[in-house]
Amino acid sequence: MELNAILYAAGVMGGLGILFGLILTFASKKFAVPVDERFTLARDAMAGANCGACGYPGCDAYALAVVNGETTIDLCTPGGQKTLDLLAEIMGQTAEVTEPVVARVLCQGETGVVKPRYDYNGPETCHTAVGLAGGPTMCQWSCVGLGDCVRVCRFDAMKIENGIVVIDEDKCTACGMCVKECPRSVIKLLPKKARVTVRCQSLAAPREARETCDKACIGCKRCEKACEYDAIHVNNFLALIDPEKCTLCGACVQVCPTKCIEQLP
Amino acid sequence: MKLSFKGGIHPLRELHEGKGKTHSQPIRDFVPERVCIPVDMHIGTPSAPCVKKGDLVKLGQVIATPVGGIGIPVHASVSGEVISVGPRQMLGKTASTCIEIANDGKDEWVELSPLGSVDSAPADKIVQQVKDAGICGMGGACFPSHIKMMIPEGKSVDTIILNGAECETFLTADHRLMLEEPQRIVDGLRLIMRAMKVSTGIIAIEDNKKDAIKVMQEAISGLEGIRVAVLKTKYPQGGEKQLIDAVTKRQVPSGALPIDAQVVVFNVGTAAAIADAVIHGKPLISRVTTVTGCVNTPSNLRVRIGTSFQDAIEAAGGFSEDPGKIFAGGSMTGLCIPGTEVSLTKANNGIVVLNQKDAVKKQPTPCIRCGRCVEACPSRLNPQFLNALNDLSDLAGMKKHNVMDCTVCGSCSYVCPAKIELCATFKEAKEKITARRV
Repeated sequence: MELNAILYAAGVMGGLGILFGLILTFASKKFAVPVDERFTLARDAMAGANCGACGYPGCDAYALAVVNGETTIDLCTPGGQKTLDLLAEIMGQTAEVTEPVVARVLCQGETGVVKPRYDYNGPETCHTAVGLAGGPTMCQWSCVGLGDCVRVCRFDAMKIENGIVVIDEDKCTACGMCVKECPRSVIKLLPKKARVTVRCQSLAAPREARETCDKACIGCKRCEKACEYDAIHVNNFLALIDPEKCTLCGACVQVCPTKCIEQLP
Repeated sequence: MKLSFKGGIHPLRELHEGKGKTHSQPIRDFVPERVCIPVDMHIGTPSAPCVKKGDLVKLGQVIATPVGGIGIPVHASVSGEVISVGPRQMLGKTASTCIEIANDGKDEWVELSPLGSVDSAPADKIVQQVKDAGICGMGGACFPSHIKMMIPEGKSVDTIILNGAECETFLTADHRLMLEEPQRIVDGLRLIMRAMKVSTGIIAIEDNKKDAIKVMQEAISGLEGIRVAVLKTKYPQGGEKQLIDAVTKRQVPSGALPIDAQVVVFNVGTAAAIADAVIHGKPLISRVTTVTGCVNTPSNLRVRIGTSFQDAIEAAGGFSEDPGKIFAGGSMTGLCIPGTEVSLTKANNGIVVLNQKDAVKKQPTPCIRCGRCVEACPSRLNPQFLNALNDLSDLAGMKKHNVMDCTVCGSCSYVCPAKIELCATFKEAKEKITARRV
C-alpha cells in the first residue's frame, strides 16, 4: 500500500515534469526572440566587470549599443586591446592600436608629509571633507585619503596606506571610475610607459608650497635645466613631463630638491 | 491650536532645546578691534572689492560692489583703515576674498540716504534700497532679499511670513530680537508688504517663546492684515517649506520655490534690517548672534559683520572648557569651523561651542531598519532606503527617489539609533547629482 502511494506520486510528478518540459521546449522554439548573434559575441568580448567605465549601465547595455551602432567600439577600457580587437572583428571595423594607460596618483601627501589644516572628524568621505573650509589638508590639491576612489574601484586595485591612496598597477584596468570620483582630481590616467612622473599637482607659489607640504613641486626649474631632451617644463610653479619626449634617463629625479618626481621601475 | 507639519523631531527637549543659557540674556553690543569681511557671504557671484590696502573707510561705506544678477554690495562694518584685501580660507570649499579693516573706534557713518517712514517711503524704491543696503537672508541661507521681493512675471504672492520660529537648537538671537526690538521687525514687515503689494503678513513663532509671542502681539495691535501664528515647538519648524506647510497648509511642490505656493518667507532679523535700511538708510553692518555652549558668559551679541569667532568668543568670556567642536550656527544645521580665525558673516546666527566629551563622534553600525528616520523626515522621504542606494553608488536611483527634496535638516541623523550619518550622505549625493548632471 505504502509503496504504491510512492510510485503513484512519483509517476504523477514525473509525468507532469515531462509534459511541462515538452511544452517549454515547444514554446522556446516557437516563440524564440531572435537575438543578433553579434550581441552574444560582443558581450563575451567585454571584460565583464560591469564597472560602468563606458558610461553604460553594465556590459550588456554597452554590447547592445555597439551592435546597434549607437556608439564607438573603444569604450571598454578594462578589456583593453583584446576587447577592442574582438569588437572590431565582430563589427567589421579596423581597430586602432591604443596606448595602454594606467591610473596614477599625482600626490605624495602622506600623513605627516602634507600639513593638516584641521582635525577632520566628520563622515569618512573625501567629497564631504574637501567641501568643509578648504579641506582637511593645507594643500588644496592633495589626496585626503578617505577612500572615495577605493569604494568605486571594481578591480580591488586601490587601497589607503598611511593617509594616501596607493594603486596596484597590475590590477588597474584604467576604467577611470576613480578619476571621475576624486573630488580633487588627484588621480589621472597616464600612459603605462611614462615611468617618470611628477607626483604633485600643486599650483601654489614656492613659499606656500614649501609651507604646506614636504614633497610639493616648488617650481624651482632645476629639473627643466637638468633635462637634455626638452621633456620637462615648469608652468605655474608646477613641473610637467611630456611622455613622448621623456627618455626615462632620471636626470630630473636626481636634481629635484623636494623629491616630488618619481621614477617607477 | 498650535500649527505644525508632518515629521520632525524635538531635539534636546529636556534641556529646553539648549536655549536656557541665553534666552534671558539681553542683547549686548560688541565692536571688535579688527574685522575681516568676506565678499562672498551671499548666494550668487562674489562681490568685487572696490577698496585697496591703506584706504580709509567710513562706517557703512561700500567696500565691494555687486557682480551679476543677484549680487549685493558689501559695506564696511567699522570705520578705519583697510589693512589688507586678499584671499583667506573661510568656511567655503576654496579661499574667499576678504577685506580686513582696523577699527579706529570713531564709528563715523557715511552719508545716509533714508527713504522715509514706514508709511511715506515710496513703495517702488524699497527693493532698490534693500539691494543697496546689502541685505540677504539672515536665517542662515544668505539669499539676497531684494530678489525675493521682486515677484517674477506670471507668479503672485498673497502672504508674507516672517520666520521667528528659531527651531534650531541653542540659538536665541531671533528670540531676543523679537523681545527687545519688536518695532523694527513690524516696520520691516510692513515695508516688505508695501513693496510687494501683499495684504497679509504673518509672524510665525514657536510656542517655546511665549514672551516673544506676547510682545509681538502687542506690537502689531491695530495693524490690519498682520497676525502672529503660534507654532508647535518642533525641529525643523523654521525650514521654509515646513513653515509654509504649518502656517498656510499649502505645500511647496517638489523642486519649486515658496513663491509657487504664493508665499515668501523672510527671517525676523532680515525684516529688522530692511526697516533700518529704508527708514534710517543704514546698510547691514551688524547682526545678533548667540554665543553659547562652553563659554564663560553665554550671551546674545550684536556683532559687526566680519568679527572673528575668536573675538566673539572672548566677548562671551572665553572658553570655559577645552573646546571639542565649534559650530557656526546651531548644532543641527551649523557647520564646524576649522579654527577660530574665521569671520562671522551676515548669515551667522550663532556660535555653539561643544566640549571634548560632547564632540566625540559615535561610530556608525549597520541599519536595523527601524524606520525612525522615515517618521522623522519632514520632506517625507525614505532616508534608510536612500542610504542603501548610496552604498551602491546609485545616484540616478537616489534622484528618482527624490533625494533632491532633502533639505539637509539632519532630523534623520539625529534619530538614527545606529548613528548612521544619513544627512551628510544626502548632502554629498545632492552635490554630486548637481555637479555631474545625473
